[in-house]
Amino acid sequence: MRGAIPSGRRQAKALCAIACLFACVNGSARAEDASASDASTWRELETKYIFGFTTGSGIGLEGEKEFTVESLDRFGKRDGSYAATETKYEFEFTPSQFIQIEFGALGSTHNISGVTGLDDRNQAALAGGFAEFRYLAIERTSNNPLSVTLAVEPTVRRIDETSGERVRNFEFETTVNADLELMRNRLYAGFNLLYEPEVTQTVIGDTQREATFGGSAALSLRVVSNVLIGGEVWYLRHYDAANLTSFTGDAVMLGPTLYVQITPKIFMVAAWNTQVWGREIGNPVSLNLAEFQRNRAKLKFAWEF
Amino acid sequence: MPMMKRLTLAALGAIALLQGSPSQAQQATEIRLTYSKGQFQPSQVSAPADKPIAFRIKNLDAKAMEFESSSLRVEKVVAAGSEGVVNVRALKPGRYEFYDDFNEKARGALTVE
Repeated sequence: MRGAIPSGRRQAKALCAIACLFACVNGSARAEDASASDASTWRELETKYIFGFTTGSGIGLEGEKEFTVESLDRFGKRDGSYAATETKYEFEFTPSQFIQIEFGALGSTHNISGVTGLDDRNQAALAGGFAEFRYLAIERTSNNPLSVTLAVEPTVRRIDETSGERVRNFEFETTVNADLELMRNRLYAGFNLLYEPEVTQTVIGDTQREATFGGSAALSLRVVSNVLIGGEVWYLRHYDAANLTSFTGDAVMLGPTLYVQITPKIFMVAAWNTQVWGREIGNPVSLNLAEFQRNRAKLKFAWEF
Repeated sequence: MPMMKRLTLAALGAIALLQGSPSQAQQATEIRLTYSKGQFQPSQVSAPADKPIAFRIKNLDAKAMEFESSSLRVEKVVAAGSEGVVNVRALKPGRYEFYDDFNEKARGALTVE
């Protein structure tokens, strides 16, 4: 863990530097506009990506297509040095005013050294594929600030997310994505509910079933028309059974979020979560670093067309 | 993979149901807009609630514009000197903004009552 955290901090500083660069470049250009600080003159916002790891209810615009590259990075275990990334290369489109569909490929990297229970590894691989189906159940109007979307995301992996080992993994993430516009065009709250069962077959033929259950709350403030900053908190529980009967531990993760609309068709998202509390059942240590990581980061770039 | 096939079929079925819903079969309220000198005319329009809407946008300018709205959840590029139609679901009462995505200053609003 001691070896991994500094690399995580370097990554966080890099994310912040990139984000600040985009914010400054674009913000300075827009600052010339007299209406730059008047939220009533800003365009309405698509909320899907403004909350970091928490997903907003947005489903895009009918006919809109988007290509995104999203890197999810995890750092820090109890000992040794641990860094793993999973990158989504994703195409998403909105075929109707209520449905959004996404699919893509997963790439992964694992840099593991001296972590108890994991083999040392330095590798990069094509890790699998995924699809996501989103349905807007409750739509926001000028009279109703709440919007809710239901989403399912089946994922197939040939590389284990945590260890980097060759496996056959099937995951079925189910989420409820809700958000509230607290102040018109200015302040938003996001909420997620997550249930993620998965089954993994190892190379020696073992079958492991597990599930993650939890939720999040996030706040995001639009400081200028194209930049939102905020924070989020996640509570996650891990089970060694898909039906949530064998509880093994839980964790609370907390951190800042950033969204920058670089041009009308390009945006970026950055987020950082640190585990601030956790427990492993049967192991009287602070934090849960068996099932969760010490830190995680997200960096996403999207191009709409 | 049977599971994936079932999910795909369920998603396609849901899309078909939504696109063929009774509200879409109703007669749409047509709203005619012209786009000239970087502005919508008229910029404030209204329509009845719970009826689908069809925006007919005539772009009189010499360059393309993109009719877009986050709250209406639609976008469409209308080439210079041509006309485009954007179909919108039946809406609840409220105010829905629209704009030209290529021109920060071109904006309008639909009031549904």
